[in-house]
Amino acid sequence: MGDFLQYVEMDSFLHRLDPRTKFMFFIVMSVLTSFVKSGVALLFLFVVFTVIWITSHIGKYMFELLKKVKVLLLFISLLWLVLGAFTVNPGPFIYRVAYTILGNSYTFSLDWFDFYKGAVFAMRVFLMISVFYTVILSTNFSQIILGLRSWNVPYSVAFGIGLVFQIIPIIIKEFTTIMEAQSSRGLEVDKCSAAAKIKNYIIVSLPLLFRVLGKGHSISLAMHYYKLNFKMKRTSYKLIKASYLDAIFGAVTVISTVSTIVLHFMFYIPL
Amino acid sequence: MSFIVNGISYKYSPESKLVLKDVSFEVKEGQVTAIVGPSGCGKSTLVSILSGVIPTLINRGVYEGSFDVQEKINISVVSQTPENQLFGYGVEDAISFGIENMGLGTDEIIERVEYVLDLLNIQHLRKRSVATLSGGQRQAVCIASVLAMRPDILIMDEPVSSLDPNGKDMIQYVLNQLRESGQTTVIVDNNLAWFSDIVDHVIGLIDGKVVFDGDKNEFYDDFEIQEKLGVTIPQEVEIYREISKKVKGLNKFYSIDEAKLEIGRLIGKKDDGTQNNIHLLKTEEILVAEGLCKSFQDGFRALIDVDAGFEKGKVISILGQNGSGKTTFVKHLNGLLRPTKGTVKYKGIETSGKTVAQISKDIILVFQHPEHMLFEETVYQELTFCARAQGIEFKEEEALSILRDYDLLEYKDELPVNLSMGQKHLLTILSVLLSSAEVIILDEPTLGMDLHQKNTLEDIIKRFISQGKTMIIISHEIPLVFKITDQILILNDGIKLAHDSKQVLANRSDIFESINIDLPPVVILSKHFGFSQICSDTNSFVQEVIHRLA
Repeated sequence: MGDFLQYVEMDSFLHRLDPRTKFMFFIVMSVLTSFVKSGVALLFLFVVFTVIWITSHIGKYMFELLKKVKVLLLFISLLWLVLGAFTVNPGPFIYRVAYTILGNSYTFSLDWFDFYKGAVFAMRVFLMISVFYTVILSTNFSQIILGLRSWNVPYSVAFGIGLVFQIIPIIIKEFTTIMEAQSSRGLEVDKCSAAAKIKNYIIVSLPLLFRVLGKGHSISLAMHYYKLNFKMKRTSYKLIKASYLDAIFGAVTVISTVSTIVLHFMFYIPL
Repeated sequence: MSFIVNGISYKYSPESKLVLKDVSFEVKEGQVTAIVGPSGCGKSTLVSILSGVIPTLINRGVYEGSFDVQEKINISVVSQTPENQLFGYGVEDAISFGIENMGLGTDEIIERVEYVLDLLNIQHLRKRSVATLSGGQRQAVCIASVLAMRPDILIMDEPVSSLDPNGKDMIQYVLNQLRESGQTTVIVDNNLAWFSDIVDHVIGLIDGKVVFDGDKNEFYDDFEIQEKLGVTIPQEVEIYREISKKVKGLNKFYSIDEAKLEIGRLIGKKDDGTQNNIHLLKTEEILVAEGLCKSFQDGFRALIDVDAGFEKGKVISILGQNGSGKTTFVKHLNGLLRPTKGTVKYKGIETSGKTVAQISKDIILVFQHPEHMLFEETVYQELTFCARAQGIEFKEEEALSILRDYDLLEYKDELPVNLSMGQKHLLTILSVLLSSAEVIILDEPTLGMDLHQKNTLEDIIKRFISQGKTMIIISHEIPLVFKITDQILILNDGIKLAHDSKQVLANRSDIFESINIDLPPVVILSKHFGFSQICSDTNSFVQEVIHRLA
């Protein structure tokens, strides 16, 4: 999907929210997913998120995100599964065997609890990423800058953050075009060994570097043409203000946060 | 009020050579001034000095002379790539960016945004995101964003170089509006053809020196300087230049209507208009696209049932506005895109099972921007890249001789990215010479080239054809297309409108009108005067006029 990691233009309730409301949502949910380790609480949060995604018509983009990070999530699950296999946990197990190496006794124990642990950590990571992505999908970089400025973040910082989100899609597009251009003149990037593929990807990094440097140069020239001076007070054409939608979304955020915390304490199993 | 450039000399470091040498001229208020000159003559450095980039941002050079303007004079630049210049997600965000930086009150910002939206007639774009605009619309928004800052001088650096005919029309309209509003404008572009109606004053630079400073008519009268500067001039002016070399007493003409009048005086009324179509010998179709359809994930249908056969040893141009499916079509020919339906056959065999690199042994696509292709450490290595990637043997002497033929030998050990834009483009095209490919596709090959380099490109194309290769060219330079092409394929909204010889299509002005592309003046005039065959370049047209006179 070409618009991965980019703002998607549409007219959903999430898009109409004040960017500051979405920033608050991002901060609260990031903190929450960093601390909550209860599977039930995380599952509840996932359901809340899913409802938000579906009602704001960004479900297919989140599904796309899930497909992109599935290897990472699988790796996290497997990692906890493997680490857990060398610890005997109480509760049902799938396979357990004792063995001796050099006179030392060990137990290999594949418990259901290890699966639970792997799933919890994978879900936490996915929720963390998806919170960020939810905001990015529904907030364009101009709104990000406006929102940050209204929180008195220095304009140089706000502009820098906005610029990153403006440039990321450009760099992705440049990379794709360079790969196409090189393969068009004979560089094999499809049917070749993994080592050759890596080598060829390194080869294209040079034109990409030059293009990115060129873009950076052009952007700095444009900043000069537009008389951008971070020391000067800047005014604004657009103003942002909260509406009743922000109040509703804020209430949903508070209720789901409290509910998640309650569920966390009710169903917490030490990991 | 005027703005005076006073004896400016500049070099980028104390050790390097002078890029500008005692440059002096005057930019007159309310006029459109063109700065022209061949690739590498110092135009970009001059823009950097006029806009204050030198010495504000680039301050290590050696700078003499002065640009005499008052301190509060505001000078802004519109670059050739608006996507690098527009800050903001939406059109309103991008337009207001500069005036927000000036610290103006909200009411004044709103007033200025409305003013430029009205002036350039782009109110309908205001709620759009910049990313969804066409090239011409983006450039118009870029001009609006700069105009909102009320610059005393507006500098435009090759503003239409990557635009299609619709985009050029839009910028021409914008420039006319600016001229009427009394905006002082400087256009840096070696292609005078698209803005010849608007320009008042021409400054010519060669090797960092001013070699011409005069009004437009003086420039068009000075044939020698036009050729030295490598400026692409309107074909009507070129026709006048060439005929007047051979016929005494010809009155000047700068437009098609004037040409009809003046040439008509020479050769009389038009004939009855029976034209003989030249039927070119048909050759074997080396590459065939059958029923190509392409639908993208979002449902957009980029190609709809396109059939096309490409004959061996011919030059075929693909015409159409941006978004007509030209690039999508050629990306199917070399396997970068796979069709939703239909097939591509090279020498009768489907290419579907091959990778792009495997197909490149037969069909090579040279991309529009050379920076996407250049990555070797030296010009020599870059030239031989295709051959090495394809495992084709070549002799060093052969490669060096190619560099020598096209004036690149002195740069053979240079980093390719240090070449001028036109040279980089030539190098990427030349690198195909040593490959085994029989079909060569060039996407907008004239980007960044001056007239001298365009002539070199014509030579390279002839060289390919003499080797029996087939050339497929995407270009918006219609006079050049008619000059070098055997056949034309016209696409519109993903549908093939026509595919025939240029002689046949020259008679189908209805098709060209439907896609808003003007036929070249030589074609229009040939038809007007009822020549026995439609001319496709200035030389053949002049020959025909002389023949009629005799």
